[in-house]
Amino acid sequence: MYSRTIVTKMLLYLLFKKHFTFCNLWILFATNRLKTLTMLSVKNIVKQYATHRALDDVSLEVEQGKIFGLLGPNGAGKTSLIRIITQITAPDSGEVIFNGQKLNSNHINQIGYLPEERGLYKKMEIGEQVLYLSKLKGLSTSEATKRIKFWFEKLDMATWWNKKVEDLSKGMQQKVQFVATVLHNPELIILDEPFSGFDPVNADLIKNEILELNAKGTTFIFSTHRMESVEELCDNIALIDKSKKILDGAVDDIKASYRNNTYVIEYAGDTDFTNNALFDVLETSDVKDGKCLKFKLKEGYTANDVLSEMLPKVRINRLAEVIPSMNDIFIERVKK
Amino acid sequence: MTFLTPLIIAGFYGLIIYFSIKGINDKTDKVAVVNQNKTLTEKLTSNKNVTYVYVNDSFESLKKTLKKSDYDYILYLPDFDIDKPAGIELIGTKQAGLSLDGRISDSIEDLIRDYKLKKSGISQTDLDNLKSNVKIDTKKIGDTGKEENSSAGASTIIAFVAGVLMFMFIMLYGVQVMRGVIEEKTSRIIEIMISSVKPFQLMMGKIIGIAMVGLTQFLLWIVLTFSISALAVTVFINKDDAQKIVSSSAQVSAANPSAQQVQAAAMTNGPLGNIQESLQNLDLAKIILVFIFYFLSGYLFYSALYAAIGSAVDSETETQQFMMPVMMPLLLGYALSLSVVTNDPYGSVAFWLSMIPFTSPIAMVVRLPYGVPAWELALSMFILVIGFIGTVWFAARIYRVGILMYGKKASVKEMAKWFWYKN
Repeated sequence: MYSRTIVTKMLLYLLFKKHFTFCNLWILFATNRLKTLTMLSVKNIVKQYATHRALDDVSLEVEQGKIFGLLGPNGAGKTSLIRIITQITAPDSGEVIFNGQKLNSNHINQIGYLPEERGLYKKMEIGEQVLYLSKLKGLSTSEATKRIKFWFEKLDMATWWNKKVEDLSKGMQQKVQFVATVLHNPELIILDEPFSGFDPVNADLIKNEILELNAKGTTFIFSTHRMESVEELCDNIALIDKSKKILDGAVDDIKASYRNNTYVIEYAGDTDFTNNALFDVLETSDVKDGKCLKFKLKEGYTANDVLSEMLPKVRINRLAEVIPSMNDIFIERVKK
Repeated sequence: MTFLTPLIIAGFYGLIIYFSIKGINDKTDKVAVVNQNKTLTEKLTSNKNVTYVYVNDSFESLKKTLKKSDYDYILYLPDFDIDKPAGIELIGTKQAGLSLDGRISDSIEDLIRDYKLKKSGISQTDLDNLKSNVKIDTKKIGDTGKEENSSAGASTIIAFVAGVLMFMFIMLYGVQVMRGVIEEKTSRIIEIMISSVKPFQLMMGKIIGIAMVGLTQFLLWIVLTFSISALAVTVFINKDDAQKIVSSSAQVSAANPSAQQVQAAAMTNGPLGNIQESLQNLDLAKIILVFIFYFLSGYLFYSALYAAIGSAVDSETETQQFMMPVMMPLLLGYALSLSVVTNDPYGSVAFWLSMIPFTSPIAMVVRLPYGVPAWELALSMFILVIGFIGTVWFAARIYRVGILMYGKKASVKEMAKWFWYKN
């Protein structure tokens, strides 16, 4: 019953996305709720620590209702940027605009933050602790209690209320922290490496919760090294390296722009295609029913040309374009 | 612990009273005296601590039978030159304590002096008249101009108790603040917390919270210690002693006493009665209120520094190097207050110690029972308040940076850098 609702919601979400792409502007404005709004815009942020410049003129925009991936190697400046958005520190110059207003202390309760280095008070009971944290975010005791019960029920934690944090495993603690992050229904949720410490089952559970909240309109900023989860979840990304933003945009666009006319083809037959006018062979290997070629098209040719060249000579089993993964793009850009 | 501590304190209090009244009086050492001195024919007079029994046996034979006999010690007085007493021996089955040693040598010295005095022609009656038991009745002119019975003893006891308690409280709760900060830092809850509250709020919340715990505990201790002590006194002091105190003071108050009677009463009462009377004259309520003020301010002053230390380190083992500079002034204040200040509560050392905010919480509560001019008290309080505002401001600037620094071994230089960081 429960999983079916999720599936339905996810389907709706996918439909919604597709719908979005094909809608014309008029419908967008007429329906209004589908309008893209900038929730958060970071403008020319500079943050200098004594001898080290953590952020150097970084600007980016996060659209409302999207999942935004903030990527970068260790020490690139992601955490510094997140700390500025959560108002833990202030930038030396530049500004942050949240929902059209300059970021101020009223926004603290509209943001939920799950830091990478996260912990809980070890001697406190779980329920009491989450209650305390959510009251700090401005919830009343009765409202917070109601919501905690709801979330504990939802994430199979109902019996944990009186347990002490030190009696929980790391994965269980992560769940508690996740609940504490989302409990006050923030408009923007910032998750720093949210899946570290989770087993696959719980990681999936949390991922579904993220998608469900996102479908309801919550915006996410998502900082991680795990590129597969970026491809799975993120709509847009920004890549930060050595304190500077070096890449940003929609995941699909970025991946498309990194296509470089590379394909793999599998065929059965003896013909040698190593030297031909259409493409340069990058790799050859033997597969079960023949050979596999990885090649790059020469200027002015398409995959169709390759097919019509090869079809008469061999039996084609598979032809696929090699689309670089976010992982490859990440490594390529950061190595530069 | 909250409920146990007053019990322990009361227990100590009771034990001290018990031993000071009963313990020493109880045990009377029996000393066999072998006198071979031809000149010292007068006998040593027994008193409540030592009983002298003159025996005719030889020293050697007594030594052999000492274990079986009911004597504790043998005192051997050889036939020495009266001007150069030498060769006196005290032998016992156990080592004689310093006090016994002192008492016996005092008695012998008295004996020799009496002998010499008599030889120079002073009669026994004159000799008896020369002896006097001096008991000084200390009084001071109070704020109201009236003479108040005071006792240096009572003031010193209060001063010591207040000084020790103040030192203990500041240390105890200051370190508790530091531990709390380190715990938040190592458990990494800090990042979650400061995305909801400002570092300054978090730091002050912790400091004030622990202050409230401390205050509650302190008040609880006072109430429990007083009530349990009252109980302990009635249990530990045996009925006769208590009766004596009660009857003698009743006698004094009932008979509208003349000066002589008061003196007599004071004599029988002993030091204890005097201290009790003086205690009533000390303004305990004022002392407790001022103590609470200095506890809160002194605690704020130091706990802010402790919070800054806690924020700079990753674990408790790293705190050592920073604890020293914070501990030193407190320790110095403690040591000087309990030695120099109790000896000379109005001297310049006492004055300056009770003005400098690093030492004033301890120095001032130690001075208080002896009486402190109102303007000095006000000035000291004012400086301390300025002082803790200063340390809190200073600590907050280090704290806000320190709590987010991991894995970096903080040095004083590093902390100075943090201090100047913009936000």
